[in-house]
Amino acid sequence: MFRAGSRRTHDTGPAAEALRLVKVTKTYGTDESAVTALDGVTLTLGRGTFTAVMGPSGSGKSTLLQCAAGLDRPDSGIVRVDGTELTGGGEAELTKFRRGRIGFVFQQYNLLDTLTVAQNTVLPLRLAGRRVDRARAREVLTSVGLGDRLGHRPDQLSGGQRQRVAIARALVTEPRVIFADEPTGALDTRSARDVLRLLQQAVGVHGRTVVMVTHDPVAASYADSVLFLADGRLAGRMDAPTADAVAERLAHLGDDMTAGV
Amino acid sequence: MLAMRSIRQRPGRFLATLLSAFLGAAIIMTFNSMHDTAAQSGVDSVSAETLTTAASVVGGYGTLLVFFAVASTLTVNVRQRAAELELLRCSGATPAQLKRMVVGEAVAVALVGAVLAIGPAMLGGQALLEVFQDSGQVDRSVDHSFGAIALLSGVDITLLAAAGAAFLAVRRATRGHERRGRGRTFFAYAALVTGAAAVCSTFAISATDAALMAAPAYGAILLSVGFALLSPRLLKGVLDRLPLTGASGWLAVRNLRRRADHLAGILMSLILFTAVATATLYMQAVESDAVEASGLTKSVDAKNLETLNFTVVGIIVVFVCVMLVNSLYAATTYRRREFGQQRLAGATPGQVLGTVGTEGLILTVTGLFFGTVAALAGIIPFTVVRTDSVLPHQGLGIWLAVVSVAAAATLGTSLATARRVLRTPAVGAVAVAA
Repeated sequence: MFRAGSRRTHDTGPAAEALRLVKVTKTYGTDESAVTALDGVTLTLGRGTFTAVMGPSGSGKSTLLQCAAGLDRPDSGIVRVDGTELTGGGEAELTKFRRGRIGFVFQQYNLLDTLTVAQNTVLPLRLAGRRVDRARAREVLTSVGLGDRLGHRPDQLSGGQRQRVAIARALVTEPRVIFADEPTGALDTRSARDVLRLLQQAVGVHGRTVVMVTHDPVAASYADSVLFLADGRLAGRMDAPTADAVAERLAHLGDDMTAGV
Repeated sequence: MLAMRSIRQRPGRFLATLLSAFLGAAIIMTFNSMHDTAAQSGVDSVSAETLTTAASVVGGYGTLLVFFAVASTLTVNVRQRAAELELLRCSGATPAQLKRMVVGEAVAVALVGAVLAIGPAMLGGQALLEVFQDSGQVDRSVDHSFGAIALLSGVDITLLAAAGAAFLAVRRATRGHERRGRGRTFFAYAALVTGAAAVCSTFAISATDAALMAAPAYGAILLSVGFALLSPRLLKGVLDRLPLTGASGWLAVRNLRRRADHLAGILMSLILFTAVATATLYMQAVESDAVEASGLTKSVDAKNLETLNFTVVGIIVVFVCVMLVNSLYAATTYRRREFGQQRLAGATPGQVLGTVGTEGLILTVTGLFFGTVAALAGIIPFTVVRTDSVLPHQGLGIWLAVVSVAAAATLGTSLATARRVLRTPAVGAVAVAA
């Protein structure tokens, strides 16, 4: 892994650091109405970790995820995914950067209604011009418990099932990092637990790195560690989190900030 | 009450309906003012007949077109507002109230369109009369008159068409899944059978009969209506035989197959446009050449027919373009979220545009193919009876012109709209509130 920054193909073995952000800043709006969503965030996440990002509404967690995942460009700072720096360029370039390295799971699933479960799952492979391995797609869908739903359309599935399709779609490209934005936000507790266990498996069994934005302390307790965010800045970290400890910490997040000033 | 408020808040979305009502009212009034002109005292009988024929034929066509155009724009409008209507229903609006709102909006917009059309229709009527006078079909001494017939017919027909179209659109929307399949199939086959019969009957008419053109022309139109009604099925048939590779093509075929029923309106416009324009223009060209070859000068009737043919084609071209552009623009804007999802799944903007382009191309080719088949079914019998050859000698020029207008409208609108839609960042495009 010499000069990883210049290596573009993802076939160069995985870097030790799955994600690295250095002084990332992002401001929305201009002049007086400007809102600083990210204020010089620096963090490093190792390979094969499951990290939850938590914070109150407007703390910048979604912006953090979008900047880290190459969906949005930071105003300043460096983003490295799997050792490769995310550089400027048009949307097409960012898309090509994402498709080999990053998988997504969204709160609203974002499956295409015109495609079946199996077709949705292999869509990223097709778009990237990679070989579509049907057996592999079936295997991944079976591993998320949907082996018997290959021909269904998303609108024939429950929310939990749709989210599991989304996870299968994120896994099938074998990305280095999976970003999950409130993946359990629209699910009942039982489906949420299934989804979170699948994300844990992605880390534990398949060696992926998962970054999950959530506001739910129970969801965060499934992660290896929790990063707290407030007003666009990192406001602490908790390893081996429990739901109660996370909730407690979250409730006093404002106090910490005031105390820190 | 709800209706007025909803128009005042969002005037932009009624632009297409306004435009079709305006164009329709202008055309109806322009031609019906020929009735007023003919009814004046001191107009000779030949002039009066020319004027009345023009008014009746084009007036009739115009009414049909206004209905179709307003219906298509309103259907799109109502479909896009499904969420808003659902919200109103949840907050206690009865189906009758929703119906009143949508119909009220449509009538108000149509009234504005009709009133705006009065001025242009007066000028148009004046110009049309001059065309007739220049060609010697109407006496120079006749003055243009814009009277009660023009005004009343224009306003009434536009309002009625708008109210009727809105009523049907909202009924379809509030009823949810409706099975109209059987009636539609019946009409489609009836149109195909009658059309085929009309085309065949061409052979029974003598070559010099003035009515010769009527049978194949109506036959071609009926055949195209039949194809148009069957268009979702035809589209699916085409898609099953399409070996498209590449991510964009693969997505395009799957999207079209799922949305075949929604796209029927666009395909319908394309088929009708191609068939009517091609059939009328070629038959008129064959007729003109035949008259010229025989060394006779054209009679007033023949000239009338020519003017009418060109006018009808002109009107249809304008209307179908408005309808195509409107429904494609609306349909493509509506897909903002879907495009966003494709991009988040790893599609570059180029791949999304490629998908949209492929879809447009498949639609255009399918529409042009069936439109051309219907047109040929009319043109060939006419040419065989009128001249000695099977195909017209005019070459492909006219057809190519028709094809390029259709292709430009379809592909141009969908690609330009998609490009605009793609300017929103993907994450914003999939946001629920969009």
